[in-house]
Amino acid sequence: MNAPSGFSVPIQVLPFAGGSAWLVEDHSLPIVSVSWSWAGGASLDPAGGEGAAAQAAALLTEGAGELDAIGFADALRDQAINLGFAAGRDQFEGSLRALTDALPDAVRLAALAMTRPRFDSAAVDRVRARALANERRALETPRGQASRSFWAAAFPNHPAGRPSAGTAASLASLTVPQMQAALARQMRREGLLVTASGAITPATLASLLAELFGALPAGAAPLAPALPAFHRFGQQVVTMPAPQSTAVFGQQGLAITDPDWEAAQVMLRVLGGGGFSSRLMQAVREERGLAYGISAGLDLMFHRGVLVGAVASENARVAETLAVTRAEWRRMADTGPTEVELADAVAYLTGALPLQFVDSRRIADGLLTLRQNNRAPDWLAGRPARLAALQRDQLAAVAGRLLRADDLSVVIAGQPAGL
Amino acid sequence: MAKLTRRTCLTTAALGAAGLPLAAPTAQGQGQPLAGPALVQSGPPVAERALFGASSWTLPNGLRVVLAESRRAPVVAHYLFYGAGGGEDPAGKSGTAHFLEHMMFKGSAHVAPGAISLIVAKQGGQDNAFTSRDVTAYHQHIEASRLELVMRMEADRFAGPTLPAETLEAERLVILEERRQRTDANPRAKFWEAQEAALWGAQHWHGRPIIGWEDEIRAITRDDLAAFYAQRYAPANAVLVVAGDVREAELRRLAEDLYGGVPARPAQGRHRAPPPAPNGVQRFELKDPAVREASLMRQVMAPGMLVGETRHAYPLEVLAHLLGSGPGSRLNRALVQTGLATSVGVSYSGDVPSFTTFSFATTARQGVQPARLEAALDAELARLLDHGVTEDEVRRSIRQLTAGAVLALDGLGAAPRLLGDALATGLSIDTVEFWPRHIREVTAPQVMAAAQAVLAAPAGINGWHLPA
Repeated sequence: MNAPSGFSVPIQVLPFAGGSAWLVEDHSLPIVSVSWSWAGGASLDPAGGEGAAAQAAALLTEGAGELDAIGFADALRDQAINLGFAAGRDQFEGSLRALTDALPDAVRLAALAMTRPRFDSAAVDRVRARALANERRALETPRGQASRSFWAAAFPNHPAGRPSAGTAASLASLTVPQMQAALARQMRREGLLVTASGAITPATLASLLAELFGALPAGAAPLAPALPAFHRFGQQVVTMPAPQSTAVFGQQGLAITDPDWEAAQVMLRVLGGGGFSSRLMQAVREERGLAYGISAGLDLMFHRGVLVGAVASENARVAETLAVTRAEWRRMADTGPTEVELADAVAYLTGALPLQFVDSRRIADGLLTLRQNNRAPDWLAGRPARLAALQRDQLAAVAGRLLRADDLSVVIAGQPAGL
Repeated sequence: MAKLTRRTCLTTAALGAAGLPLAAPTAQGQGQPLAGPALVQSGPPVAERALFGASSWTLPNGLRVVLAESRRAPVVAHYLFYGAGGGEDPAGKSGTAHFLEHMMFKGSAHVAPGAISLIVAKQGGQDNAFTSRDVTAYHQHIEASRLELVMRMEADRFAGPTLPAETLEAERLVILEERRQRTDANPRAKFWEAQEAALWGAQHWHGRPIIGWEDEIRAITRDDLAAFYAQRYAPANAVLVVAGDVREAELRRLAEDLYGGVPARPAQGRHRAPPPAPNGVQRFELKDPAVREASLMRQVMAPGMLVGETRHAYPLEVLAHLLGSGPGSRLNRALVQTGLATSVGVSYSGDVPSFTTFSFATTARQGVQPARLEAALDAELARLLDHGVTEDEVRRSIRQLTAGAVLALDGLGAAPRLLGDALATGLSIDTVEFWPRHIREVTAPQVMAAAQAVLAAPAGINGWHLPA
């Protein structure tokens, strides 16, 4: 019982011009997924031009080459092709999934989108209107308000503190040349990371990569600005009419190159990981009925993990929820997890590995995250042994080093009482 | 958690060319196929193969068992569905089905309160549950060798949850927080809830929220939960679905050993009142200082797969796509690409045990008067009824709807959710396994007959959610 499962996934590494691709080959279904990314994303948007990369990403599939927006959409939909681009906080990503019969057309359309996007004015106008509506809608709930304010306060002088999709003001003024400049900065042959999964051989993938990326300009995107230290800001309240307050809380995390990265992951699984097992879930939901759910963990960005969590409680009780949360934070910092908690968390993280490998898109995306974190191809295969070797003292030490209950910065949105 | 319908699962993935061969299931069970070759009347055989290739059988106590085998990875998904959801809540006690779902995690004869999730996690698995209007389901995804463990624990609470009184009040607080999080602190969810109540009636089974009205959540007693369990959680009203890496002989043995001992007892059927008497399309409006965009939600009464003019159900799925799915659809061209709206969607699912709606949702662009957007919608629907649809439009919608259905095999959750939901709702497995064929058989005249039936003299509601 609780032994690491023998499950492992063979990852093939294929070199191609300027980089390499990772492939998990699986011919059980006639489906192929490919994911790719460049570091940068919304963080490369200039001040005042927030949302340029996100708008450009959305417009890549709104008409390209001879196909207008409807023609392009129907070309994808007629053949079951998923193709999309997105600019996140620190990555610009593309992905496609297609049935093997449709793969040649999927690749042709993806390459067309990246090299000959049209930016028709009607499409620009429509995508902008949609983004403005989404931006306004995101701020209708306490959760949206708390999250927006939290990141702005934690990283006031860095792109991590601004919304990736842009603000109402920036979206209104963005021009097509600004969006085209975002693409020109970003979509380069160097720095490109590619992963694939499904019914495709290495040889076919190699030719597909040449077609997808061969026409991109040489060179690399500018470096994303390094993430500064988390700015401790204490407590902020965003007052808005709501029967329940949402709290977003966090503090300084650690670098993904930190030798204690996996020890921290396991310790944080015990403190605030998913499901019912965590101390926070037990203390806040199971014992006191203070919230429907609570979680806390590492949010990855700019090669670091920022420690962040969220919870929502009735206005009258949110102060108690935060007090319980801080107490659990402090208890973990003081004594670390127990031997049983360590063993349970390692058993979960090891045993759950095969569940990540049932869906070609999820496999490709999971491998891409590993690549964005500079992990080696054998990182997954070695994970069960590394986790099994973790000692309780090591986790207690990392908890003591990392967790600062008194420094926890919190935004509460709603009409909280007693704060 | 929202109900996953066949429509969202099989079609949102974007679907491939018509006639594209569906992948063969990777293995055939030894049992009776639910819909074997004998049911296939014509057409290229490979394209008509059952989507999941599921086999099924029934235990002596009445429990139906379904296996959708896949050897892609050494994992299984184990789902137990009950054919009862929020629609079965007793009068004045909305939220009972959902409250019971929460309390099913509070222990049974051999499992301590809260232990089931902890044990599943220790074994590397993930567990959860959901309540829809029509079904309640409990599920675990886990490494394949642990299937027996999760079956043992699920069967234990099936046979009798403890429903410990001392955990009831804390759980009630959790549910009230869930309600605040999902609905009360979310302006759009509140609008939706209010419109449903206005359309069907606040105490009608379809007009009550699945999570329950707040005062009724507060009024639910342990006896209410025990009664719901006794009446609805009978083996004959349940469906066990396992997907993934397990052989049929092994599942037959485990199901017999672990679930076979749950005693048979009478299961109470559904009693679904009809919708309010047709009275045209009523107008509904909610002004809300929290919202910034004016949104229209229009719902009109429509038949489903099991009640009313059921022959319209598949044509209505095609009609919904033709009108509102993607940039090439009629309403997208008329409302979004003309600059009146930021989005438009049309939704319909006939996979329900009784009455349902065909609905339109659209959000006005800033500066566009709601009346103007509504007039444009009306004009487009009038054009549909006056001039009909073309054969090409119907073919294209069918093509986009169906041909990527095989993408539902790319993952572990779709098979058990679709198969379990269909059976627990009262539909046949055929509606899932051969859904692409049913859609491909739809003709343009059938689409127009369905459009006339639901849109020519509609009964329903036209609701505006407006900035105050």
